Amino acid sequence: MGPEPKNVEIDPAVRDLRNRTLVKLPGDFSRLVYLASSRDYNTGQYHHDGLSFHFSENVASKALAACHREVFDRLVYISLEELIEELDHYISSTDERPEVFLKSWNHLGSYRVTIPSECDELDAEVFLSNVKMALAILETRQKPASRDEQSA
Amino acid sequence: MRQLLPYLGVASLLLAVTALWVRQIFLAHKSRIEVQVPRKGGARGGSTASHDDLGERIFSLEDWEFVSTNTPSQIQKMFLHERGVIAISWLRRTRMRISLVMRAHLAAAGQTENLHPATELKLALNYLVFRVLCDVLIGCIWLRGPIRTRKTVGQTLRTVVWLRGAFEQLLARVDPANCKTLRTSFNHRAARN
Repeated sequence: MGPEPKNVEIDPAVRDLRNRTLVKLPGDFSRLVYLASSRDYNTGQYHHDGLSFHFSENVASKALAACHREVFDRLVYISLEELIEELDHYISSTDERPEVFLKSWNHLGSYRVTIPSECDELDAEVFLSNVKMALAILETRQKPASRDEQSA
Repeated sequence: MRQLLPYLGVASLLLAVTALWVRQIFLAHKSRIEVQVPRKGGARGGSTASHDDLGERIFSLEDWEFVSTNTPSQIQKMFLHERGVIAISWLRRTRMRISLVMRAHLAAAGQTENLHPATELKLALNYLVFRVLCDVLIGCIWLRGPIRTRKTVGQTLRTVVWLRGAFEQLLARVDPANCKTLRTSFNHRAARN
């Protein structure tokens, strides 16, 4: 799924996390949201019971942080077209109606919390801008579709 | 007036030599410079090792080609605005980092006895050209946007990338410690790993 982290201490935990959990998620955007949601917003520490049980709480937190950065880096460098596909894929994987999802994400800016704690400021800026663009493009695609539904 | 003639002559000669030297550098390296644009699907394979410069990503034309052919004008305007803001941020950061390293180098050079004037002069000229180009690029992007000036941006970006490389090479010879700092700060991924 990506380059091996050089930190030997967390290597097994990272592999475990990739092979058991992340691989089952549909796409990088789902992985990003999953990893961001495993972080405590008050402390910035990541938590994963299964991983902490097998390794230690500290190692689990570091492994989650490393995977979070890795997935984020991939999403920063993919093209806008690919990001739209990723986002669309993620929206389809949730049970929400796309128009409700898009309205909520645009209005609340929920995607802002998916940024890793230790990430470069400009990387974050590029990512946020691209997601904003992707949401706007998906919304324009949604409008004709919802008009068609209403007229039918 | 006559008294000034020798000074004017020396100044003209210096200017001519500098201009020739800068021209030679540009011509010698122009053909070798290649800005790598991330290829479609390249990142999907999961490799982040090749992405060593965010500038390449920001100035990539791939996104604009997609936006200009698949979205309405309102989205296109939004894209140009968003990308312009980011491009200017990137240039400002690049300029600031080089300035910091140059300042650190000047501080270190002040304490060194074994200075090479020719290399120092090259370094200073390199730095000045780099700063001027960054400012020109910021102005171009601010006035016309990142895409309308893409030819200028592309050409100047190549020069900026090359100048950064030349600056690093010169600095590595003169001041290896500061050069290491420069490389690390440009490639934050390397620093993180």
